[in-house]
Order: sequence, then structure tokens, then C-alpha cells
Amino acid sequence: MRQGAAPRLRRDLIVLAVLSVAYLAVTAFVTNSYYQLILTLVPIWAVFGVGWNILSGYGGQLSFGHASFFGIGAYVTTLALVYWDLTPWLGIPLGMIVGGVAAILIGMPTFRLRGHYFALSMLAYPLAILYFLQYLGFQEVSLPMHRENPAAYLEFTDPRLYTVVAVGLLIAGIIACLMVENSRFGLALLAIRQNELAAEAAGLNSWLWKMRAITASGVIAAAAGGLYACVLLVVTPDSVFGMLVSAQAVVVTLFGGVAAVWGPVIGAAVLVPLASTLNAELGNILPGIQGVVYGAAMIGIMLASPEGLFWTVRDKLRHRRGSSTARQPQRPSAAPIRPAAAPPAVPRRSTPVAGGRALLEVENLSRAFGGLRAVSQVSFTVQAGEILGIIGPNGAGKTTLFNLLNGVLAADEGRATLDGVSLRGRKVHQVARLGVGRTFQVVRAFPRLPLRDNVIVAAYGAGLSDAAAIAASEDALAKVGLSAQADLPASQLTNKQLRLMELARALAGQPRLLLLDETLAGLGRDECDDVLDVLARLRDEGMTIVIIEHTMHAMMRIADRFVVLDHGRVLAAGLPRQVVEDRSVIEAYLGKKWLAKQEA
Amino acid sequence: MTQYPTLGRRSAIGLGLAGGAALAAPRRARAQAPKEVKIGMLMPLSGPWARQGILEQMGARMAIDDVNNAGGIKSMGGAKLKLVEYDTQDSAEKAKDGAQRMLAQEPDLVGGFGCWLSTFTLAATEVTERAELPWLTLSYSDLITGRGFKYVFQSSPTADRQAEEELPMVVELAQKATGKKPTKVAIVGDNTASSVSFLKPIREHVLKNLGMTAVADEIYTPPLADATTIVQRVRSARPDFVLFQSTNVPDDKLLVDKFAEMNLKSDRLPKVGGGGHWAVPELLNVAGAENLEGVMVGLANWPGKNLADLEKRFMARTKEPWFGHDSIFAYVHVLILKEALERCGVADRRKVNEAIHTMDLTDGPAQFFPDGRIKYDEKGRRIGAKLCVVQWRNGKPVPVYPANIATADVVWPKA
Repeated sequence: MRQGAAPRLRRDLIVLAVLSVAYLAVTAFVTNSYYQLILTLVPIWAVFGVGWNILSGYGGQLSFGHASFFGIGAYVTTLALVYWDLTPWLGIPLGMIVGGVAAILIGMPTFRLRGHYFALSMLAYPLAILYFLQYLGFQEVSLPMHRENPAAYLEFTDPRLYTVVAVGLLIAGIIACLMVENSRFGLALLAIRQNELAAEAAGLNSWLWKMRAITASGVIAAAAGGLYACVLLVVTPDSVFGMLVSAQAVVVTLFGGVAAVWGPVIGAAVLVPLASTLNAELGNILPGIQGVVYGAAMIGIMLASPEGLFWTVRDKLRHRRGSSTARQPQRPSAAPIRPAAAPPAVPRRSTPVAGGRALLEVENLSRAFGGLRAVSQVSFTVQAGEILGIIGPNGAGKTTLFNLLNGVLAADEGRATLDGVSLRGRKVHQVARLGVGRTFQVVRAFPRLPLRDNVIVAAYGAGLSDAAAIAASEDALAKVGLSAQADLPASQLTNKQLRLMELARALAGQPRLLLLDETLAGLGRDECDDVLDVLARLRDEGMTIVIIEHTMHAMMRIADRFVVLDHGRVLAAGLPRQVVEDRSVIEAYLGKKWLAKQEA
Repeated sequence: MTQYPTLGRRSAIGLGLAGGAALAAPRRARAQAPKEVKIGMLMPLSGPWARQGILEQMGARMAIDDVNNAGGIKSMGGAKLKLVEYDTQDSAEKAKDGAQRMLAQEPDLVGGFGCWLSTFTLAATEVTERAELPWLTLSYSDLITGRGFKYVFQSSPTADRQAEEELPMVVELAQKATGKKPTKVAIVGDNTASSVSFLKPIREHVLKNLGMTAVADEIYTPPLADATTIVQRVRSARPDFVLFQSTNVPDDKLLVDKFAEMNLKSDRLPKVGGGGHWAVPELLNVAGAENLEGVMVGLANWPGKNLADLEKRFMARTKEPWFGHDSIFAYVHVLILKEALERCGVADRRKVNEAIHTMDLTDGPAQFFPDGRIKYDEKGRRIGAKLCVVQWRNGKPVPVYPANIATADVVWPKA
């Protein structure tokens, strides 16, 4: 379980229990069969939304084609009943299995795509299945009526029992969703949603997590579809695979709240009765007008509350509960980064770690983009326990070099080994697992997540158990001095705090080597010193660091050795003092003219 | 302490009894002599099939007025019929939802009819059957009465029977008109499910049994974009007539236009279409009277020569150019429910159902079917339900078959 999840989980389960009991109590008193039908449909569409939410809400992989899984659940349940006389009590679980398998088959090719391309490709699957079923002659399949022993076939004369079954399914769906949300599964999905590359660099195998998400999502959607078929009694491809079905999952969740357990429940509880009431009241007066009113209501509410009702209401409540309590942890005075009495200057080692073990060895590493040789024949070694500074003018290939080392880009040739293990050909999360932590030139935070969760992601990525991961992230936060801000969402952190957060995230992954890409960018001189202190302490604890930096004075203070890159090539390497006096380095940085003037 | 006026026990009981009686009395009174009896209509009144639903609605409303103007239901003390109308909208699940809503909001319905499109009827009857509400429909699909239901009545010949009967009927017409039996047919149909299942028995055995051959068999995916190649192939095959199995007005128009353009109007090459869309005013508006002239249409029902007066009244009240397939079905379904109510004398849906099952009429409402009989078998299919044929003449579909409804002889060019 995730850190701090227990009280939240307990609260959610209590809410769930209270709501379910209240809902069933209301159900018991509704005798009008049409209102009872609405009461049955609300939990069914909510379950569908819960399923969609796991992939598209938490995981951020927007799917416009969830009708695939819903429809598969409906058709498997129906056809199993028609052809094998298999009761829906077993047919729905069978549909869930088929839905899960379909999700795997659909996910494997489709996750090669990202963003809008993924969303649009998902749209195609239900349409394809729809035509396929029409071709097979399953235009209209009715569920045979069982006059004898109907309950064994999930048929009830009392419509309230359908509602009971639907509520039962919803409870199961919500519990599944709570389990996802409060485990590393949910955190991994949230991280992937907010920044996939950062999640990969933190050691998460995003493809695998996305596959798990689509499978769980497909299974839940299929369960909703199966029960829907039993309530609908006649299944047509359009009614379970149609565009509007896919839209229903998106709409109830967007309306209620994305990536919130209660989102789809709220959405379904408002929209399903609204649509039905409009049908009943307006549709009888002017047929068709209900659609117009429904559409207009949707647009209005989405404009007023774009992230969904749940989040809007929650933000309002938090706001009202007093800004003082909410803002408290933000006060910077609470915990200074380090004791003020510490010596201001960073003590640099007088001698480089001579004779140390080579941790990272890079040989002839090259990468070209078309005709541009971004990194060309680069070789250097990093000794365990040293800070190696990589400097060079803009466009020298520094960040590309990092991207080659940690698997974001594939090298064209050359070799890079960490403790003798080759890094080439490995994916980002695999490199991270080998013990290479990475920060980014532009901070890649998970803005909606608290600082603590931003950091713990990497501990999970390193494969730590829950307890060990919590300990590792606490430790990492302490090392960078952000323990007091652990509960703040990343979006409320200052630039320096964000830089330190990235550092902590890299540390939580238990790295042997840190690759820091312009960690000091955009910081003032004092802030810069604070960060440098942290780095110095890390080195003293034995960490090996490779840092890219522009600010020469900072580099002079912190780095043990320099490697200078220019036009993708190693221009010079050695002790800082030697390097900055090297003519070719000065020329690369300041130009020939400047050099000539100096010498004149 | 404030003094409240107290109520003695005896007077309290008296009040309670009086109240109870007051509540119970009108209910009992209504049960004895209902002022009105409700029947339900569930039709597509919005969405792509709304036009057909509205045509049925027009026929139903006229029937209700006719019954009520003639004194209502006599066996129930002149109780009036009341039509409650519900919309299926545009999909099966909404049709089912509509049925559920209708039953919940109108608990005292005694029967109903709808929903034009087979898919909608199939979904809605799953609900009406469970509510034991007798339900009449013009929908063609065999599935509707193939589920062992006891409260569904299908007045049209089922789709399978239409497939068996359409060609023999056309051959009979041709033989009567020309004295010669056509032997070569060209089939032009789309690949929708209903067309595929309709043409299957024709290709498999109907043609063979009639001693005919399909000299051309053209299949397309609707909507049709261009009919040129289809018409060219049909022309070079030199059939005796063309059988269309299209499913919508735009495709119908493209086909007749292209045949006309290639100088193969129906005076040179007879054409037979199937389904209600071949005989609607919309087709006339887009294709024009000239190109439609002579096209024959096989249908499940059409008002015949005995109903000229009814047709005139219908046209006057609705401003529609004619009284057609959809409207007459709704008209007769209201009359069948009225007849059943007359027979059982109570507003009880189970008894009404029983009355429809035992009904065997050759007069009264039976005159509104071409075969002139109302008798449903145990599945709920109308015994002896037959197709009829109308032929486009001067921009109007005119019944030409069977003889008892025909207002004109069929025009079939002598080859």
C-alpha cells in the first residue's frame, strides 16, 4: 500500500458502505419500474466509467473506444446464454476473461502509439468489431426468457433485484479501483500520465504498467457490458459497440472527475437520471428535444468545471476550510535546508580520486541525426566517488550524451558500460534499474502528486518493497532537505525545490551513478550554493555524479574533473584548472577573436 | 396548556371509514364503467425513422377518432379509446427504455402497437411480454414471433415468407398480363443483413422451383455512389425483369434514375422493388413521376379499392398525398384492439390478449388486410398474411394485386 493511503482508504470504504446502504434503501421504496430501471443503469454506467478511469484517468491513456470491452462483455454473456444455455452468473465472468484477453491483444499494438494517435486508434476497434458482428449475423440477439427458475439465469420479476446486482458489481468495481489507486500500480499510472519519460527514468516500465491498466480496465468494462445485456434483454452491435457507448464512459468520468474513484459514480448518478428524465418529460412533448437539452447541460457543466465535479467541489471545500491550514507546510522557515552554521564554501577535494575504480566507461559513443553528428566518438571514464563535470557551449551534445547513456536515444556506435555491464540497447527503465539516476534540463515533475509521491515513484521503480520504498524516499527527501515539504503537491514548489525534488527522486531509485542535467539552471547564487552543498555531501557519502552545467564558477567549485564537449566531440578532459586554461576550450567558449585579443 | 379540540373515538372511526370509502369509491366506479381505455403506441418519432413513425401515428390517431366518434367501446358503456404515444428515438436500447417508461407511467394500458423497425420491436417486446401487454406490430423479422412469446402479434407476412412469396407473385402477375412466363431475372441488392437473408432462399431454391435463372446478380454496399456499372451489366444480361433489394430511398432513386438514363424505363424493362421505402412520397420527390412510372413494389399491406372513402378522409386530414403501408397498419391495429375490448368487455390486458388470440374475423377490421382475414396462430403470426403489389402510375402508387384490393390492372410490357 502507498504511504499515507490507509486513512484515505478507510474513509473511502466508509463512504462506499454508507452510500451503498442508502442507495439500496431508496431502491427498496421505488416501485415505478421505469425509475427502477434508472436506478439499475446508474451503477452499471458507473462501473463502466470506473473501468475507463483506470486506463484513461489514472493512466492518462485516453481511450475513445472502450465500447470494445463493454460490447465484448455484453456479447459473450448473451451468446453464451443463447448457444450454450450458460447462465449470465457465469457468462459475465466469462465475458470479463474475454474482455481482458481482448484488452491485451488491443493494447500490444496500440501502445506503440501515444497521445492523440492512441486515442484515435482506440476509436477504430469497436467500429471494426461492430461490422464484424453484423457480418456474422448477430444484428439483434435477444436473451431467451426463462419462465422456469428465472433467478438462476439472472432474470428477476422484481426489478429491484437488478439494482441490487448492479450495486454489488459497482462495489466490487470501486474496491478494485481503490486497490489500484492506493498501490504502486496507481502511483505508477499517475506518474506515467503526468510525465512518461520521467516515469521511465525513475525505473518504471511504462509499457508493462499500461498493459496492466488496459487489462484491468477491459475486465471491468466487460463486467459492466455483461450486466447491461441482461438488463437490456436485446443486444445489438450499435447498442453495445456504438460510438455513444464509448462516449458514455468518457462523459460520466469527465463530468464526475477524472482519476478519482468517485468521479464516474458522481457522473453516472447525475447524468443517467438527467437523460432519462429529459426523455420522459420533454421527449413526450417534443420528440428529440431531450438530446438538445442534455447536450447543452453537458457543455455548460464542462465549461464551469473542466476537471469534473469531484475536483471542483473538493477544491472549493479545501479553500473554504481555511487557507491557513492548507498553506502551512509551504512556509519555508519550517526546515532550513542545512544548519546555517555549516561552512559556506564547498570543500572540494584537493586531489581527484586517483586510482579509484572506473564506474562508468564510455568509448567512442556516437549518434548522428541525419547529417548532424550530435555525439561523435566520445570516450571518457567516471571514477567511483567523483563528480565529473561535462561542460561545453550550447549545442555541444551534452544532453544528447545523457540521452544515449540512459536509453532515451539509441547510440549508433560505441560502447558504454556501468561496472562492466553494457548500457547500450537498454530501455530507459532498464538503465534506471541498473542504478543510473537521472534529472532533466527542464524539470519533469508529476505536478498533481505530492512531493512524497513524486519521489517514491523511483523507489518503486527500483523494485523496492513498500516499506523499503517509503524508507528510501524519506531518506532521499532528508538528504536534499525537503522532508518538511513532503505533502505539498509538486505544482506548489519553487524552482529550487523542484530541482532538489528531482535529485531526491533520482536518489530514491538507489542509484550508483547520478546523471544531472543542468541542475543549477535558473537558480540564483544563494540557491545555487544550497544545491551545491547537497551535491558535495552526496559525494562525501560516496555517490558518483556526472553533471552538465553552464555556470562555470559553480562547476569550478564542485567538479573533480571536467570533460569538455564541442560539436559532439571531446575537446579536452582533465582537472578543472587545466581545462579552463586550455586554449581550445577558451576558443570554443569565447571564440578566436577573444583569444587573439587576450594574447595581444 | 392549550386545549385542542378532541375527536371522539367513534367519530374518528367514522371519519376514517368515510375517507376510505371516498378513496375507494371512484376507483370501483371506474372499474365498472371506465371513461377511457388507454392503448399505447411506441414509435420512432425522432431520429432517422421518425417519418415512418409519424405515418403510423397519423393512421392511429385517425382510427382513435373514428372509434370514439362512432360511440367508443359499446360493451364497456361507450368508453372512449385514448392513445398514449411514446418515442423509441433512434436505437434499440432507447426503444426498450421507451417501452419501460410507457409501462411505468401508464400502468392501466390494455394493449399497444409498434415500433415499425424490427430491431426496435424486438427490444420493446422483451419488455411488453414480461408485462403481459398484448402488442401488435407490422415489423417483418421472423425473430419477433420466434421467441415463444404469448403477447406479440405480427400482422405482416414474416421476412422469410416474403422471400418465398414475392417472386411467385410477380411471375403470376406477369403471366396474367402478358400470357408469358418470365424466365430471366436480374437481382440488384445491397449487402445489409436483411437483404442478404431475404435473397438467400431466392438464390437457393425459389428461382429453381419457378424454373427461372438469375442472369445478373449485382451486390453493392450502401449508400450507393454510382449505379452505372450495375445497370450496364443488367442491360447486357437482357433479363425479363429486375428485382431490387435495396433498403433506402437515396439508393432507390439512383437506381431508377440510371435505368431511365440508359433508356430502360419500366415500359421496356419491368422492375420490382421490395419494402415500404419504395412507395413513399419522398421517393416521388427525388426520383420524379416519370422515372418511377411502372415500377412495382411488393408490400405487406395497402389500402384497396374498398377503402377509397377512408383514403380520402385520411388525405384530407393529414395533407399526405396518399394513404399507405405504414398508416393503414396503425389504423387496423387500433381497430383490432378495439374489437378485442368489445369482446372481453373489461379493461384487462390479459383478457384482451386472450380475445385477440381467439379472434377469427373475415369482416370488420379484416377488410383492411389484402387477404381479408384476422386470425393469429399460436406464435402470434397472422394466418394467411399475404403480400400485395402496388405500381407507380402518374406519380402515385396504385394497388394492382391481389384482385380484391386492386384498383387497376398491372401494366407489364409485352416483350
